[in-house]
Amino acid sequence: MYTRSAMLLAVLLAVPGAAALGQMSRATLVRQSDIIFIGTVTQVGAVAAPEVPASDRNVVVHVDQVLEKPAAVALGAGDSVTVQTAQRGSLKPGSQATFYTTGWIFGQGVAVREVGHELGHSPVVATVQAAAVARARLDMNDADLKAHIQQAAMVVTGRVDQVRPAELAAAPARPKRISEHDAQWQEAIIQVQDGIKGAQAGEQVVVRFPTSLDVAWVGTPRFTVGQEGTFVLHKDSTSGSPNAMLAGRSVPAYTALHKVDVLSRQDATRVRALIRKP
Amino acid sequence: MRTRIIAATVVLYAACEGATRQAPPAKVAGVRVVDLIPASLSGETWQDAEPFLALYASNAQLMAASAFTPNPGGSASATAPIYASNDGGDTWTLRNTLPSQGMTADITHAAGATPSVLYSGILKVPGVPLNELKASDFFSPATMTLQASRADVDQPFVRTAQAASADRVYVGLNDFDAPDGRTATVDVSLDGGATYTSRRIETRATVGQNGPSVRPAVAQDHTVYVAYFGWRATTGSDVTSDVVVVRDDSGAGGATPPFRDLLDPSDHLPGRLVATHVTIPWSNAPTLGQERIGSTLSIAVHPLHSDTVYLAWADRVGTGDIYTVHVRRSTDRGATWSGDLRSVTNATNASLAVSASGTVGLLYQQVTGSDSSSRWVTRLEQSRDGFTTHQDALLATVPANAPPLQFLPYIGDYNGLLSRGNQFLGVFSASNTPDSTNFPQGVVYHRRVDFATHRLLDGTGATVAVSIDPFFFSVPVLP
Repeated sequence: MYTRSAMLLAVLLAVPGAAALGQMSRATLVRQSDIIFIGTVTQVGAVAAPEVPASDRNVVVHVDQVLEKPAAVALGAGDSVTVQTAQRGSLKPGSQATFYTTGWIFGQGVAVREVGHELGHSPVVATVQAAAVARARLDMNDADLKAHIQQAAMVVTGRVDQVRPAELAAAPARPKRISEHDAQWQEAIIQVQDGIKGAQAGEQVVVRFPTSLDVAWVGTPRFTVGQEGTFVLHKDSTSGSPNAMLAGRSVPAYTALHKVDVLSRQDATRVRALIRKP
Repeated sequence: MRTRIIAATVVLYAACEGATRQAPPAKVAGVRVVDLIPASLSGETWQDAEPFLALYASNAQLMAASAFTPNPGGSASATAPIYASNDGGDTWTLRNTLPSQGMTADITHAAGATPSVLYSGILKVPGVPLNELKASDFFSPATMTLQASRADVDQPFVRTAQAASADRVYVGLNDFDAPDGRTATVDVSLDGGATYTSRRIETRATVGQNGPSVRPAVAQDHTVYVAYFGWRATTGSDVTSDVVVVRDDSGAGGATPPFRDLLDPSDHLPGRLVATHVTIPWSNAPTLGQERIGSTLSIAVHPLHSDTVYLAWADRVGTGDIYTVHVRRSTDRGATWSGDLRSVTNATNASLAVSASGTVGLLYQQVTGSDSSSRWVTRLEQSRDGFTTHQDALLATVPANAPPLQFLPYIGDYNGLLSRGNQFLGVFSASNTPDSTNFPQGVVYHRRVDFATHRLLDGTGATVAVSIDPFFFSVPVLP
């Protein structure tokens, strides 16, 4: 009987838009969260660590299982977390839920702000929830990539044939400045092997990228000769010089500054599927 | 007793100048060194460089600090964090209250007169526009309020003072949109950040711009000094620069154009030329212990006697040195300056502060040794006699070649030093291996560590890679 009820509850919770989700879908909750865990409310109007200000909006939650968290954060089953609830009085001692949260205060303990929660908890539900959250995260990643592709001017698979210093046309009113944040632009000449969006096989495109080690450019994709991949390219609105020279002709320059702009060659299949997906 | 301490530390300094560490460093009584990373971020491995610190005169318990620490939630987060302490720096929390995507680029901040008001100047991610921000309570979860913003600005450096009931805010910055290539600028607010006016302080011809560092210092009588680099020529890798100080005797709030109260006798223009035609290597690549160099500058005024002001900068002298820090002093409001009271080779991140008793503190980070044995050595020197003698607190000595850099700056283009009461208080960034020999004054970690095995540990007890952490310190002012 217990198992059957638990399974029924699990099925209900696995359906996005179920009543327990409130106004937000699970996908929305996942998108807005960086710490997701299953836990049990132990105290209301209390805090789990001294650095968190007292408030009747806060509840202390015993963590049963962490579903997602950043690697830097020390949080595991058995820990107590302070949750600033989205709605005062929405949780009572003993409430079991999946908590969708963002980091708030990191000190002796972790305090988080609730994005939303899904009530319900049992070993079976926990398993289902873990799978559901993981699936929702994949869906969100796909949705973000699809949006990124839609904004892109060009999506190609190809190979970097050449890397060269960028020749930027300096606007007369803007002399070159010496700054530690200077991007130190270079240009990758990419031979298009498959034009997925906005390009055709055999074309060459010029992609500007920063080579600076400066903090302002940390995490920005870089290119090397021989590199192959699936490239999501945007018209260059960053360097201040929208065109580049290629074989004696002025052509549009592109950038790929976001980490999802440079994908593996194998990701082309996923990209095509996302483009086809309504 | 004081003479003995100074003598001992001078001997120690001489020993440490060599490539090898021969004697155990002296311990200075009352020194605290605290790693800012809290226990709940024990898995943190980021390069938390370029730290800064803000203090309240009226509340010794409250402090704000910053570094290139990202929001633990990741780069898609809409906010970046700031560190906060409410127990005088013994413990710190990280709070995501800055309006920047995941982390900031440059960031400095200063306290308002009333706790817990905080002003901050950041280069916001993405795009790195300047944001001048205010929090009425930096412990609040609310995102700091944007007061002013513009693009094409570098290295905002915030200082504050109080006049009547309003906070005055001085943001030294390099404004690339300033006319005629005279980019050294101070954004001045006389009304608690509600409005800012950009004041251009360079009066001479430049190579097309000034150097990135523009540093204000404010005395209690509202004398404001600002130091900047007057870039006169460049070869690309070397800049020929003047080191210039301007002064305003009324907090930049008078009827006359501000920062015109100190003229140079050579050309009668505002801005005293403390050093002329120095050679500054501009290297935006790992050059000194994995760090870049090119714009090290600090100025500090005696808080109660504004006639006395200290200046530090770095340039290259001779052929056997990469980068030398110089310290000079004026005791007549910047009209005349001493020669070098102190010079430190292969050093950067000089930060000065002057205590109410007149003791000057000099924080710097120096590379000693060479190749695989090279080390980043962080020291606070303090002196009551113009560095004829000085007490030397060796705060950290860590490998300079590990961890490998993730980006530049490696440990920071600057660090932070302030004085309050009988303490020098500051922050620096350094490799975080939990090895007691790396921190001769002792060190407190709140993140999980195992000193016996020199390992950092995450929440599960697994080993965490060594990285750069920000460290807070306090050192008693020489009596």
